[in-house]
Amino acid sequence: MPIRKFRSVEEMTPLPDRRPFDPENLRIAIVWSRAMLALRPVKQTPGVHKFRSYEEMKARDEQHGTTPTTSTGNR
Amino acid sequence: MIMELEEALGILAAFEREKVEYVLVGSMGMAVLGVIRATRDIDLFVAPDEANVVRLRRALASVFDDPSIDEITSTDLAGDYPAIQYAPPTGDFSIDLLARLGERFRFDQIEWQEVTLDGICVRVATPRMLYRMKRDTVRPQDKIDASVLRERFHLEDE
Repeated sequence: MPIRKFRSVEEMTPLPDRRPFDPENLRIAIVWSRAMLALRPVKQTPGVHKFRSYEEMKARDEQHGTTPTTSTGNR
Repeated sequence: MIMELEEALGILAAFEREKVEYVLVGSMGMAVLGVIRATRDIDLFVAPDEANVVRLRRALASVFDDPSIDEITSTDLAGDYPAIQYAPPTGDFSIDLLARLGERFRFDQIEWQEVTLDGICVRVATPRMLYRMKRDTVRPQDKIDASVLRERFHLEDE
């Protein structure tokens, strides 16, 4: 994909939608995730952690900075 | 070490090999559907019955040499701890296991479809299912995801 440059975020147009079930989608997601981790390294505490709810689990992630706070989606 | 594609596919291949009853949800599920964002976890809805959790542990143990995997139990998933996070010793990511989401979603209520990725059969939640799951949580990121899914797949509120 070529590099596109904009003078402001407002000028940025969304990238075209990816085709569902394209095996490349997962590869892109992991490349982006690796980039995010390189920019903001966070060490997960290894092991099994148990929570009473999904919300409790994700709240802990956010406390530890292991969840992106903004979408980097393609729309 | 940061998760590689091969590692993610290796986990899904192990789940297929061990016949684990699971559905890929969350941001990785969205990525399979073509809606991509960065993440640090793989979210999997799993059936919490004893036989399936045995298969789940066997699948994870085939990928990660980690005795802590034995701490993942059916008793917890089906009982007081329906959300279990497993962080492998080698990785900067986690595998988030869900047996139910609030009072609204249990494993047997998750709509899924089977797709083949690099020769691996993967069960992924349908766009409508992902939208419903994300719409109803309180997390801001999930609200954003729900909005993107609704627009991308032209979903209507029920």
